[in-house]
Amino acid sequence: MYRLSFLCSFLEVKGLSSLGRFIIRRTLSIIPMVLLIVAINFFIIHLAPGNPAQLISGLEQPSPEVIEALEEQYGLNQPLIVQLGLYYRNIFQGNLGYSFIYGTSVNGLIFERAGATILLTVTAAIIAFIIGTLIAVWVGRRKTKVLDSIFSVLAYIFYAMPSFWLALVLILTFSSTFKLFPTSGMFNVRESYEGFAKIGDVLYHLALPCATLALIQIPVFFRVTRSSIDQVHQDEYITTFTAIGISRKKIFKKYVLKNAILPTITIFGLTLGYAISGAALVEIVFAWPGMGRLMLDAVFRRDYNLLLGIYFVMAVCICLAILITDIVYALVDPRIRY
Amino acid sequence: MTAENRISLSRHENKLTKSVKMYLRDIKGVIGLFILLVFIVMAIFAPVIAPYSPDTMTDDVLQSPSLNHLFGTDHLGRDLFSRVIFGTRISLSVGFVAAGLSAIIGVFIGSFSGYYGGATDDIISKVIDTFLMIPAFFLILIIVSIFGSNIMYIMLVIGLTTWPRNARLMRAQALSIKEKTFITVARSTGESNMRILFGHVIPNGIFPVIANSALQMGGAILTEASLSFIGLGDPNLTSWGKLIYQGRPYMTYAPWTIVIPGIFVVLAVLAFSFIGDGLQFTFNPKNKGEK
Repeated sequence: MYRLSFLCSFLEVKGLSSLGRFIIRRTLSIIPMVLLIVAINFFIIHLAPGNPAQLISGLEQPSPEVIEALEEQYGLNQPLIVQLGLYYRNIFQGNLGYSFIYGTSVNGLIFERAGATILLTVTAAIIAFIIGTLIAVWVGRRKTKVLDSIFSVLAYIFYAMPSFWLALVLILTFSSTFKLFPTSGMFNVRESYEGFAKIGDVLYHLALPCATLALIQIPVFFRVTRSSIDQVHQDEYITTFTAIGISRKKIFKKYVLKNAILPTITIFGLTLGYAISGAALVEIVFAWPGMGRLMLDAVFRRDYNLLLGIYFVMAVCICLAILITDIVYALVDPRIRY
Repeated sequence: MTAENRISLSRHENKLTKSVKMYLRDIKGVIGLFILLVFIVMAIFAPVIAPYSPDTMTDDVLQSPSLNHLFGTDHLGRDLFSRVIFGTRISLSVGFVAAGLSAIIGVFIGSFSGYYGGATDDIISKVIDTFLMIPAFFLILIIVSIFGSNIMYIMLVIGLTTWPRNARLMRAQALSIKEKTFITVARSTGESNMRILFGHVIPNGIFPVIANSALQMGGAILTEASLSFIGLGDPNLTSWGKLIYQGRPYMTYAPWTIVIPGIFVVLAVLAFSFIGDGLQFTFNPKNKGEK
């Protein structure tokens, strides 16, 4: 604590702008949040019935000696609060522990799988952002009742779809019936492509999972942008601009759009933050080699360290996404001052 | 005293009929309510409506939809139409119980926090914020896989992980209501805090929670479907999600086994989001007058 305040005062001496101080203050404030989330998860996992040592041993009925040795080795015989403390210490050293089922370090496992998940979720979020916002802007400008109703009903329907079901339906349509796209995986395992052919192959496999995620996220972007355009239209300054005779087109381009687009930034940030848990089911359906499958294995086989590790990464991602969104917001919107 | 009561009662009724009229003006809300009513009737009269027993196996395996089997049959020759009808019971009860629990917890914690304020409020708000950030589905996944996938656990866990949004809504309501004059009057006439909380603050501020609960019912149905799809549903019960899970291995030759139960999930979630948005519109003070 002393060190933190020292750091802050040091930065103030250096004459940081208010924005800079805001960023540092917010960055420091996410640390206790992440720790709290990890603690909640830690206690839930350790409340579970059954002996973790037996699970680690992989034996039906391990002898008491084996149990004792394993408990000693993994520190399982210590009080929970001590174990949590040890876990925190490891996190701060950048070590998420050792996976029982895979027999390697959790860091390595997550690192190995993170790339595929990031590729899938970021692509889907960008596509959903572009399409959802564009449709909303297009519909919002025309103000035709029919178009508006059609798109808002479509948005409701896609929003109501379970992601795994949409994935299955897309597989049925585009893989089984039309044989356009592969059903699963990230590469064609029978070929070993290099260079551009490899990129093409990955994109080819990416199409369906990415479309699934994007189709489910588009309604969110559409609805937020749509209602925010409506809201800005109701603002008094827009009425004034209309009254003094500025063309609708100019008002829309110069004033409405700029203000209406702001909330979508938040949604975009949150979509990325929740990407790991949001994409898990889609990854499982398409056998996409991301963190979804890893998560499921960890859940089913109760790999404590892997579960905690994934949860920790998830919590950090969410906190970082919220933080970055706040900062971008502060940079983009000059009305926000700290 | 009685006269005053009567006046307030009639005013209340007036408000209610006005709200109902307001709600019925929105076509989406009406459609949502209609779908929900159909589903409730399906759930209650399932044994009457279903032409076959949902668990009777026959030799007619993976038959495509026909007049005999409206939705076709599954890999064990069971009538899918009957299975979907009975599945309504499970999926709807998950929605109602989980969202109901979430609403009860949210209302209590939120109104306490907002009404009493001070340090308690600060701590509770922080906890609410933290819980709101946690990806609930993964937490539910862990808890269900550890403690077992009994339907009671599933409903309980969904309720226990989704209350923070209700708590936040209720807290905001309590914060604004407690500053109103009638609360000051009630306090000055010596009503206890508990009576004020349960008699005035909660009844006057519960509307956003009700609207949100409709949305959460849809969410709970989706969550249960996802759990069942992964294989973590209650092994003894057949919900819509479970039907999709069971049909998946045969989906290329029998697409109806996954498409039809999925359409029912979509319809249910759609109905609840129509109703939730309709209620939100009705209770929004900005829409008091004409639309």
